[in-house]
Amino acid sequence: MSDVLSVQDLVVVYSDGTKAVNGIDFAVNEGEVFGFLGPNGAGKSTTIKVLTTLLRRTSGKVSVLGMDLDKNQKEIRTQIGVEAQETVVDGDLTGRENMILQGNLHQMKGKELDDRVDELLRLVELSDVANKRAAFYSGGMKKRLDLASSLVHRPKLLFLDEPTTGLDPQSRATIWKHLSKLNKEEGISIFLTTQYLEEADKLCGRLSIIDHGQIVTSGTPSELKADIGADAIALSVEGFEGANGKSEKAKQVLEGIPGIANIMSSDDGLTVYAKNASTLVPEIVRAFDASGLKLSSISLSRPSLDDVFMKHTGHRIRAEELVKPPSRMMGRWGRGRR
Amino acid sequence: MGEGKEIAMSLFSDTQVLFVRAVKKLIRTPILLFFSLFQPIIFLVLFTQLFSKFGVLLASEGGFAGVSYLSFATAGIVLQNGFSSALQSGTSVVDDLTSGFLEKELVTPVNRAAILLGRLLTDAFRVVVQSAIILGLAFLLGAQFATGIPGVLVIFLIVAFFGLAWSGISLTIGLKTKSAETVFALGGILTFPLLFMSSALVPTALMPKWMQAVSNLNPITYAVNAVRALTLTGFVWTKILEALGIIGLIALITMGATLYLFRKVVS
Repeated sequence: MSDVLSVQDLVVVYSDGTKAVNGIDFAVNEGEVFGFLGPNGAGKSTTIKVLTTLLRRTSGKVSVLGMDLDKNQKEIRTQIGVEAQETVVDGDLTGRENMILQGNLHQMKGKELDDRVDELLRLVELSDVANKRAAFYSGGMKKRLDLASSLVHRPKLLFLDEPTTGLDPQSRATIWKHLSKLNKEEGISIFLTTQYLEEADKLCGRLSIIDHGQIVTSGTPSELKADIGADAIALSVEGFEGANGKSEKAKQVLEGIPGIANIMSSDDGLTVYAKNASTLVPEIVRAFDASGLKLSSISLSRPSLDDVFMKHTGHRIRAEELVKPPSRMMGRWGRGRR
Repeated sequence: MGEGKEIAMSLFSDTQVLFVRAVKKLIRTPILLFFSLFQPIIFLVLFTQLFSKFGVLLASEGGFAGVSYLSFATAGIVLQNGFSSALQSGTSVVDDLTSGFLEKELVTPVNRAAILLGRLLTDAFRVVVQSAIILGLAFLLGAQFATGIPGVLVIFLIVAFFGLAWSGISLTIGLKTKSAETVFALGGILTFPLLFMSSALVPTALMPKWMQAVSNLNPITYAVNAVRALTLTGFVWTKILEALGIIGLIALITMGATLYLFRKVVS
């Protein structure tokens, strides 16, 4: 059993006709950290809900830890850990009680459970506050408690739906540290979704880029980046606003320079890809000067996953989609579950 | 065989785990208990004083000779508390639904029925605790208790059962609308009309004809009459069984609807 997760032609159509997941295939190897990178609404959460027995799929073949998703639901639930996108801790209970409760729901009790809870509280550095009510924890602490409580029953496979969305950079780094440690030291296989490029880059051994319910490309982060085959040069031009005359003119200027492979325009400027980018910078500057267009900045970068995303989908993972109001606020009252 | 026994065991232990969680939550947010007890206590302390002279009318035309209004109204107030707190039950389910706690439960192998059973047991427990407080206070204020402790235990049984039947309405609305405000609003809207059009605060004999007709159709009337008999007269089994029968019928309907909607959420 080398695949802990195997998905073939998974399709999920909601009752209102929305095709949330549209024929995806992938497999996760034992001991691997595998990620789905994609924007909001790409079908990431839907996929996780299907794989964790919460949502019925429309069609497709799925096996989790070698077990059939339809026949072995209960057995699957005993062996997977799940952390949902919204942090779920019971604020009226202490950190320790939250974890004991999770253990109890997995039929664990007594000293075995107490020891495991202590061990995990130490791991996520919450031992000091374990007997305080979780309502008083910070967002990062709640997330760590939520993560720890999904590990009480020693799952073999962990599902994380956007494990750091809404967290500050420092808490995010702490979560990454814990996840790497869990993967390396306890050998837990991890399937995660994210809309953070850095997170995918840092944590995932392999990843798939998902957009509109479909996988657009898969590979290791370095494979995907190497596939771009060139460095990126990002230019901003004064007075540039999307598809006006200036953008056409700027494109023409760039097309006249030999060695430039690919020109992509985004809201704030142009990105071009080239093999020996650093030697092209002086030429680009000269060409723009000659054309009468004013460059306001030019920067050179190794290709990032954002460039990979751009190449395959034609758009960037937009920054404003990353900023979400605290989910507790929106989740508390009145909103139907997706 | 072995599997059936295992399922029964997990139902028992999971229900216990979830019941303990809910009771802890209840104890740690005493403000909620205070709010649901506030109204019945105001009725018990102030309303019964306001209408203390009503005792005269109770004797002359109501058929309750020698009974203070406090003694008369205690049964009604206990059941008022029973259904107004039961009508809030749906909010905790909505809370678990919207906070994601329910999903967190559902990805564990927890027995599905235990989730609902744990909730219902908690509701019953809560109603009994609140009833005990109200009855205790009524006793201190001088209300009559014709059947003593055994009678009080039967009152607890009726009130718990009654609470469950009404919880079902609240849970159904909660599961259907997934909105805590709707559940709250429902409780607010239903409480007083149902209370006034029952025998809770005034004997049916003293009501206008049309209201008597409504009151005789109101299930609260039957529960109140049974509890009132226990506090004022003695063990009137016809009334007790009548009340339990009617409550059972309501419980069957509301629990059926709850179960149906809950299965839809869970599957």
